[in-house]
Amino acid sequence: MPPIFDDNACSGCGLCDSICPADAIYLKSDGDRKIPYLKYPDECWHCGSCRQDCPEAAISIQFPPDMLNI
Amino acid sequence: MEMIPLSTDVLIIGGGLAGTNAAMAAAEKGAKVIITDKGNIDRSGDIGGGVDHFMAYLNEGQKWDTQEAFLGYVDKVGRGTGHFSIIESVYCAELPDAIDRMARIGNPLTQTDGSFYRTSSMGQPGTYWINFNGKRLKPRLGRAVRQLGCTVLDKVMMVDLLTHEGAVVGGIGFHIRSGDFYVIQSKAAIIATGNTNRLYENPRINPFNTWLCPFDTGDGQIMALNAGAALTNMEYMRMTLLPKGFAAPGFNALVGMGGRFLNGLGEYYMEKNHAMGNRAPRYDVVFHTLEEIRKGHGPIYIDCRHLNDEDLNHLKSSLGYDKDTLPDYFEQRGEDLRSRPVEITVSEGMQAGPTEVTGSGIKIDRNSASTIPGLFASGDACDHNRCVHGAVAGGYKAGKSAAAFASGIKHADSAPKSMTREEIDRFTAPLYRPSGYPYRQIEDAIRKIMAEHVGPMRTAHALKAGMEKLEGIERHLDEMKANDLHELMRTYETRSILSVGKVMATTALFRTESRNKPYHHRLDFPDTDNTHWCGLVVIQKKGDEFSCTFEAVS
Repeated sequence: MPPIFDDNACSGCGLCDSICPADAIYLKSDGDRKIPYLKYPDECWHCGSCRQDCPEAAISIQFPPDMLNI
Repeated sequence: MEMIPLSTDVLIIGGGLAGTNAAMAAAEKGAKVIITDKGNIDRSGDIGGGVDHFMAYLNEGQKWDTQEAFLGYVDKVGRGTGHFSIIESVYCAELPDAIDRMARIGNPLTQTDGSFYRTSSMGQPGTYWINFNGKRLKPRLGRAVRQLGCTVLDKVMMVDLLTHEGAVVGGIGFHIRSGDFYVIQSKAAIIATGNTNRLYENPRINPFNTWLCPFDTGDGQIMALNAGAALTNMEYMRMTLLPKGFAAPGFNALVGMGGRFLNGLGEYYMEKNHAMGNRAPRYDVVFHTLEEIRKGHGPIYIDCRHLNDEDLNHLKSSLGYDKDTLPDYFEQRGEDLRSRPVEITVSEGMQAGPTEVTGSGIKIDRNSASTIPGLFASGDACDHNRCVHGAVAGGYKAGKSAAAFASGIKHADSAPKSMTREEIDRFTAPLYRPSGYPYRQIEDAIRKIMAEHVGPMRTAHALKAGMEKLEGIERHLDEMKANDLHELMRTYETRSILSVGKVMATTALFRTESRNKPYHHRLDFPDTDNTHWCGLVVIQKKGDEFSCTFEAVS
C-alpha cells in the first residue's frame, strides 16, 4: 500500500483517482473539496503512476514492512 | 445504471501497449475506433508506469544484427513455439516503423545524443535490447490515441464478445464506477488484454505483487475461446527472477549490465551450470535458480559489485525507468548495488509466452487475425506477439488488418443492438446476492490448486487431479458476492483466471514431453522430443468440452 497523500499539498484535481490502474484510489469529501484515499490498499501495484502524474507532487511512496523485510 | 448502445468500425478490448498501438493504426487507416480499458489508457497495462527495454535488430553492420540472425535466435530459444512466417509478418516487417512511431509520438528509443544504448542478455547473440527511458511512453501513447479521435472508454471492463453466425460482431461491458452497461457493435474487434496473472500462489504473499500487470487476468483470451477462437502455447507457465520482496522488473537491466547470480554458499551458480552463464535464456536461469532453492542453497542474490562506475551509474539512474518505485524500494530496504549483492527470488507463476520472442494466447495468422471472422489479437494476449517489441509492432499490425477487414464489410443488421434487463441482471447478479463468497477466497483456492498441480513440475496424475479440483471450484462461481462495482470487476477476473487454469491443465496434459523447462516440465516425460512435439498445442472449445490438436512448426 505505498501511496501516501499529502492533503495539504493536494489540489483535489482527482487525476490520481482517474489514472490508477488498480482502481484503488478514490476521492472522499473533505469540507468543500475532495481528496484522494486508498480504497483498496492491498491491490496497489506500486507502478508509481500516481506520484509521477500528480501536478502538486503531493504523493510519496512508502513500502510496507512485509515487502521490505521478507 | 444506463444501457449505452454504441457502434464502431474497430473495437479494441484492452488499452495497454498493444491496444494503443492498434488504435493508432486503425485510426490512421481511417477507421472509427472505440478502445476500452479497465483502467485509464494513459497509465494502464504492463508498461503503465514506465518501461526501459525494446528488443530489436538494427542492421547496424554486425552479423548478429540482421533479421536472419534474429530468427536464428528465435529458433534457438523458442524452437517449436512459433512460426517464423508469422513472426516475420507481425514483428520483422513492422519493426522499422515501430521504432519510428515511438519517436513521432514524442518518446524516441534513442539516448539524448541520438544513439541507441544496446545490451544483451537471455541467450541473445548480440545486443538486441535497446535500453531507453519509457517513463512517459504510455501517457504519450494515450495522448496520441485521443488526438487521433478514437473514442476512449476508460474504466470500462468488457465481459463478453457478441457473435453472429460464428463471427465476432462486438462486445459488452460495464463502467466500473457508474455501472453503465455498454453494448458495442463492431465490424472488427481486437483483443489486446495481455497475459494472465494472479493465477499462482505468490512468493511475495500479496497476489497483486506481480511482475506483469495484476489486472491482466486473461479476460480477452477467455472471451475469444468462448466465442470459438483457438488458443495456443497455453501450457507454458512463465516465471522470472525478481527482487525478494517486490516483483519489480529490472532483471533484464541488471543482467544486461553484467550482474552475476550468486547463491547463499557464495557460488556463482549460473557460471558453473550453463555455457552462457548469467546471460543464459531466462527459463534456464529460472530452472537453475529453482534447483538452488530446492537444495537449500538460498538466499539467492544478483551481484553487481564488480561493475565499473560508469556502468553502475547508468544502471542506478535507469532502474526507475521500468519500475518507477524500484529505486525507492532499494533505498527503503537498504540495498546498495555497489557494496552488497541484492537478494532475489523466483517470481510468481503466470501464464505467458515461453520466450521473449514467442507468445501464448489467441492463435493468430500473418495478419494478426484469429481463427474466427471479425476477431484479431495482439500483444501478450496472442501467440505470436511477445514483450514490448511484440506489442508495439504486432499491435499496429492488428490495427491495420482490423481496419482493412472493417472497410470490407457492410454493417449487418442482424446483430443485437441492445440487451434485455434480464441479460444485464445476469451480469450484475453478484451485486444483488444477499450473501456469498468474496472473490479473493475463490481466487486463493485457484492459486493453490495451480501451484500444486500445474506448476513447475507436472505429472499426468497431478494435472488430472488439479483439473477436477478446478472444476469443483467452478461449480461455485455463481455464489460469489460483490459489494460494489469494483468487486464485480474482480469477480469477472476470477472467472477468467479459473478458465485459464483449466486451459493450462488441459494443454499441459496433452503435451507429453517437456519444453523450455521449467515453463513446461513433465516429470513423466522429462525430455524435449523435437521429432513429435516441435510445434504448438492448439486448444478450442467444442460445446462445453475442450479439444486439443497439435500443429507442427517446421
